[in-house]
Amino acid sequence: MTQLLNQQGGRWSISASTDTAWVSLEEFQPDAALLLDVDAEPQAAWASARLIGIDFPALTDGRGLSLAALLRQRVGFTGDLRAIGAVHEDILHFMLRCGFTSFELADDRDPEIVLGQLAPYSQHYQTSVINPMPALVRLANTH
Amino acid sequence: MYQYDDFDRQFVQERVAHYREQTERYLAGKLSEDEFLQLRLRNGLYIQRLAPMLRVAIPYGTLSSTQLRALADISMTYDRGYGHLSTRQNIQFNWPDIADVPDILEQLAKVNMHAIQTSGSCIRNVTTDHFAGAAADEIVDPRPYCELIRQWSTSHPEFEWLPRKFKIAVSGAAVDRAAVEVHDIGLRVYEDEQQQHVFDVLVGGGLGRTPVIGATIRAALPAKHLLSYLQAILRVYNRYGRRDNKYKARIKILVRALGAESFTEQVETEWAMILNESEPLPATTIAHMQQFFTPPKLPVVDHGTGTLAEQRLHQPAFSRWVERNVFPHRTKGYSNVILSTKAIGVPPGDVSAEQMLAVASWAEQFGVGEIRITHEQNFVLPHIPQGDLLALWQQAQAADLATANAGLITDVICCPGGDFCSLANAKSIPIAEAIQRQLADADFVHDLGDVDLNISGCMNACGHHHVGHIGILGVDKKGQEFYQISLGGHAGHSNTQASLGQIIGPSVSRQQVQGVIGKIINIYLTLRQPDENFLSCFRRVGVAPFKASLKERPHDAVA
Repeated sequence: MTQLLNQQGGRWSISASTDTAWVSLEEFQPDAALLLDVDAEPQAAWASARLIGIDFPALTDGRGLSLAALLRQRVGFTGDLRAIGAVHEDILHFMLRCGFTSFELADDRDPEIVLGQLAPYSQHYQTSVINPMPALVRLANTH
Repeated sequence: MYQYDDFDRQFVQERVAHYREQTERYLAGKLSEDEFLQLRLRNGLYIQRLAPMLRVAIPYGTLSSTQLRALADISMTYDRGYGHLSTRQNIQFNWPDIADVPDILEQLAKVNMHAIQTSGSCIRNVTTDHFAGAAADEIVDPRPYCELIRQWSTSHPEFEWLPRKFKIAVSGAAVDRAAVEVHDIGLRVYEDEQQQHVFDVLVGGGLGRTPVIGATIRAALPAKHLLSYLQAILRVYNRYGRRDNKYKARIKILVRALGAESFTEQVETEWAMILNESEPLPATTIAHMQQFFTPPKLPVVDHGTGTLAEQRLHQPAFSRWVERNVFPHRTKGYSNVILSTKAIGVPPGDVSAEQMLAVASWAEQFGVGEIRITHEQNFVLPHIPQGDLLALWQQAQAADLATANAGLITDVICCPGGDFCSLANAKSIPIAEAIQRQLADADFVHDLGDVDLNISGCMNACGHHHVGHIGILGVDKKGQEFYQISLGGHAGHSNTQASLGQIIGPSVSRQQVQGVIGKIINIYLTLRQPDENFLSCFRRVGVAPFKASLKERPHDAVA
C-alpha cells in the first residue's frame, strides 16, 4: 500500500493511493497514464499524457530528476508528474524543483514529517523548472 | 573575497536548521542509519574509524582571518584543539560528536561558512589556484567563476544525487596550480583575441582506482556559456553514468566507455538544446561577481629588494625559506607566502588552534586579512610586502610554520590513512613521518630540489599518490599493510603536462619503505644531470633504472 501526496485545492495533502491504470511506453496513447523507468528517453508525443509517473529505484538515484526536468522543459509536458518507487521525504524538495507535482510514498512514511519536508528552503540559487529564469536566478534578478 | 549577502546568509541558516531537524529525526529513530547516511554525507559528516569527521567547506580555498579564528574556536570547543587541512583546500575536524554537529554548523554560519556538499555523490567544493588574484603569472582571475560555480552547484535540484562525487577545478594562470587535468571537470580560463574570457573544458580526469588524465572536450567556451555547458556535462553524466558499481561510477569511466569523441558529441547535443531553452549568463552577473575580487589596494612599497637581499645574506635559514616558500606576486614589492604545515613529527596538514589563530593574526598584520589553503595542505598568505617577510618568518618559526620545504620531498601530501579513516588499507601518516625523519638534513633535502611525495592509505587516492613524483599507496596483503611505490606522476605546478606514476614493482612492507625511498633518491642523485630535477630526470631515463631500488636487500636508509 502507498499514500499519495499532492495538492488539493491549492493545499498539499496526503491520502490513500487509488489504483492507477499505468501503461508502459510501448503501450502509450494520448491521455494515458504513462509509467516510466528513470532511464527512459523523452519523446515529444508524451506531452499529451494525462499523467506521467517516474519510478525511482533508490533514494540515491538522481536519474529521475533529470528525466523530470526534460519532460517539463523539452517535451513540454504540463500535466501531473508523479514520483513513485523509492520516494523519500528528504528528496521531495529537489523533486518539486525538477517539476514533480505528486508523490507516491510508502505507507510507513509519517505524513506529518512528509508535509514538513516540502520546502525546507525559502529560496534557491539556481533557476529551475518551477522558476525558469535566466541562469543564476537571483543574480540575474538583483543586478 | 566574496561577501555574503542576505540571500547567502539566509540560505546557510536554513541549511543549518534543516540539518538540525534531520539529525533530530535520526536521533529519534525516525530516519534509518542508511537514510541518514545519505543526508549527513551531503553535509560533510563522515563516520570514521574512531569518531565522526566533519569536513568544512573553504570555497576555492579562500578564507578570512575572522573565519579562521572561528575554525580555531570550533576546534577548541568541539574537537581536540586542531584541524586537518585537506587535499581539496577544505578543513576537517576529526573528533566531533554527531549530536554537536548542528551547533558547530551554527557557529560556522555566523562567519558565513558551512559544510554543504563537502562529501556525498554530488558536486563538491570547487577548487582553484591558491595564488589566485595574487600570482605574477595569472592571466584571468578564476575566483569570480569559482563563486558562480559554487552558487550554481549549491543544492542544485537536478544534480544532488549523482552516480558518484564530482569535483571541479579552475585555473587561470600560466602555471596550473589547481591540477585541472585530474578532476572530473577541469577548467582553464584565459583571454581570447578580443580580450574576452573563455574556457578550455577538460572532462574525465581523476585519481582513485582508475587514474586518468582529463580530455579536452571544448576549447574557448565563452564565459557566458560556462554554466549551461556544465549543466550539459552534468546532465549527461547524471543520466548515463554507471550506478551499479561505485568503483566504476565516476565520469571518467563513462567518458572511457563512450570514447571521448562520442561523449563530447552527447554533451554538445545536450548543450545545443539547453541553449535553446535558456538564456546565457548576463554580462552584468559576471561583472557583479568580479567586483568582489578586485585586487586589494596595496600601498606602493619602497620595493625593499636591497633590504631583502641583505637580510638574506645575513640569515641563510631565512634565505632558504624565501627561496622555497615565497612566490612572485603581481605587484612589485609584494610576495605570496606558503606557511608549511609539514614540520617533522606533525601529520601533514594538521594545524593546531594556536597556529590557526597565529595565521589569522599574521594575515591581518602583514597581509589583507585573507588566507588560502593549498591542495598540498599548507597555508598561503597572499599580498605580503617583501619588507615584512623577515618579521613574518620569525613569527612563523616560533609557531612551527616556517619549514622551508614547499615543493620539497618533505612537503608530503598525505591522507589521514589507517589511523583515522575506515576506508584505508594501511597507515599513511607514520610513513610520512618516518620519511621526514629520515630526511631531516635540510641541506640534503634542499639539494634534492623539487620532489612531490604523495601518500595514500588506499586506492581511493585522497593523498593523490598517482600524481606524486614519488607516490606511495597503502595496500592490504592478507591482512598486512604493504606499500606500492610509483614514480613519475605529476599534477601541475609547472608548465609540463600532467602524468600518472608508474609502479616500480611489487609492494613492500612498512619497514622497507624508507629503504626503498632512500635508494630511489640515491639513484636519482647518481643519474641526474646538472640542474635536472627529479621529474625531468625520471622522464629522461624512465622507470627501468629505478626498479633496482627494490631489488637489493636489505634496504638501507639513505644519508
